[in-house]
Amino acid sequence: MTPLQHYLFLAVALFSIGAWGVLARRNIILVIMCIELMLNGINIALIAFSNYSLDGAGRGQVFVFFIFAVAAAEVAIGLAITIALYRLRERMSVDELHEMKG
Amino acid sequence: MGEFNQLAFWIIAFTVISCAIGVVTFKNLIHSAISMVCCFTGVAGVYVLLRAELAAAAQVLIYVGAISILILFAIMLTRHRSGDLKIFFHRQSWAAIPLMLLVGIVFTGVLASAHYMNSSSEAMNPDTRGIADILFNDYAFPFEVLSLVLLVAIVGAVLLASKEKQL
Repeated sequence: MTPLQHYLFLAVALFSIGAWGVLARRNIILVIMCIELMLNGINIALIAFSNYSLDGAGRGQVFVFFIFAVAAAEVAIGLAITIALYRLRERMSVDELHEMKG
Repeated sequence: MGEFNQLAFWIIAFTVISCAIGVVTFKNLIHSAISMVCCFTGVAGVYVLLRAELAAAAQVLIYVGAISILILFAIMLTRHRSGDLKIFFHRQSWAAIPLMLLVGIVFTGVLASAHYMNSSSEAMNPDTRGIADILFNDYAFPFEVLSLVLLVAIVGAVLLASKEKQL
């Protein structure tokens, strides 16, 4: 069996790459895609912990199903906001959207 | 069986990491989206290695199926402007790489130095029947609340993306 740490290192790598994309890229849709990558990293960590826990195995998997549903809702709302912004402002870059800057 | 598991894990981990780097670095949005689909499929493979077949099936259905198509539709609907974007990384993006490395190193250090009760024994994930038992007995109320969340998200998405500007 692969030890637990390897799965956790994979999860950390996926989370960090997703965070890099969220911080560095300009396009809103790509930022949403990178948020999905971060959520996938968290899911890998939860399922790995669920697989190796001595009591309460399977609880982590239930949390993963909740994260699936919340991620689907988040993508739907995020892309709806993106399309509404595109229709109103014709802009797709996060650094061009500074209407709420003080 | 153990060696096969190890080998499959390394192949899948390499695929997932390289596809994730591709999502961030590709210039074309469609290429990024296809790379993201490969990454999600690899994550489903990781779930299979962890004996979580139901989560793997849900991953393929929700992420590879639904969310990828939703993102491709959004790319298609906003194509003319995002297609000719010339600068892909914004001005402060140099700071993102040290931040990413910091997050990765701190998490890796914490995970490597932690003490694990059971780090390499037999798999403990229950089958689909056990998952259903936990989900519908212990977590029945959060499950029902989740359906309300999805309903609100659907109505909100339709309202935000509708043509009339009644907001």
